[in-house]
Amino acid sequence: MLIQLLTNKYPGMRLWLSQRLSAVMMAIYIVFLITLLIIQQPSNFESWHVFVSPIWFRLVTLVFFISLFIHAWLGVSDVFKDYIFNKTLRANLQIIVDTLLVVYLIWISFILWNI
Amino acid sequence: MQQNKLKSRPKNLNLFTIRLPINAVVSILHRASGMALFLALPLILLALQYSVRSPESYATLVNLLDTWFFKLILIGLSWAFFHHFFSGIRHLMQDIHWMTSLQKARFSGRVVLWLVAFSVLIFALVIW
Repeated sequence: MLIQLLTNKYPGMRLWLSQRLSAVMMAIYIVFLITLLIIQQPSNFESWHVFVSPIWFRLVTLVFFISLFIHAWLGVSDVFKDYIFNKTLRANLQIIVDTLLVVYLIWISFILWNI
Repeated sequence: MQQNKLKSRPKNLNLFTIRLPINAVVSILHRASGMALFLALPLILLALQYSVRSPESYATLVNLLDTWFFKLILIGLSWAFFHHFFSGIRHLMQDIHWMTSLQKARFSGRVVLWLVAFSVLIFALVIW
């Protein structure tokens, strides 16, 4: 059933499901992060550095941001499709958003790599 | 013929004369907060970068965020986050057909708005 829905016959289903899955992953990460922050309460550079340094933390943070960028891409594209009727303008704005998100992905990878 | 009839129907898209029901309010705010969070992404990444780069950049960031102007921006961002988070969870619940009747959807819409208000208040108290 699910496999059938995800084939080329229903291309919208994949986008729909990606939006939901990325949302669920981000929600789990955020709840986990806030809980950890409340327990450990890093209040200066040293404790904050210790908080973000573990390799597993940086990896799940990267997964979070990848989910965020996928989610943002789907959301912003939907908003554009609904409100921007000029096709050329929409296509150009979409290219800007695509470029920005790729730059953000490289940027966050760089930040996490250099901690 | 059919097309022409549809086109000649009166239509009102004046946002100042449309009274939005609570479900529409929660829904449009979900979009607005999502766009706000997207536009704030470079600031969030920059803040994250400053917080981990060096003790000096960390101090710069903390001093900057300690001003009332940036505290207001943080509170605004926290609203965008909490609204998008709670109304997003409401949308996910509706995806699995939970609380989808009109009455229950109105109720969950009110719950979302109260949760957002409460969370932003707590956040504001914590950072101030």
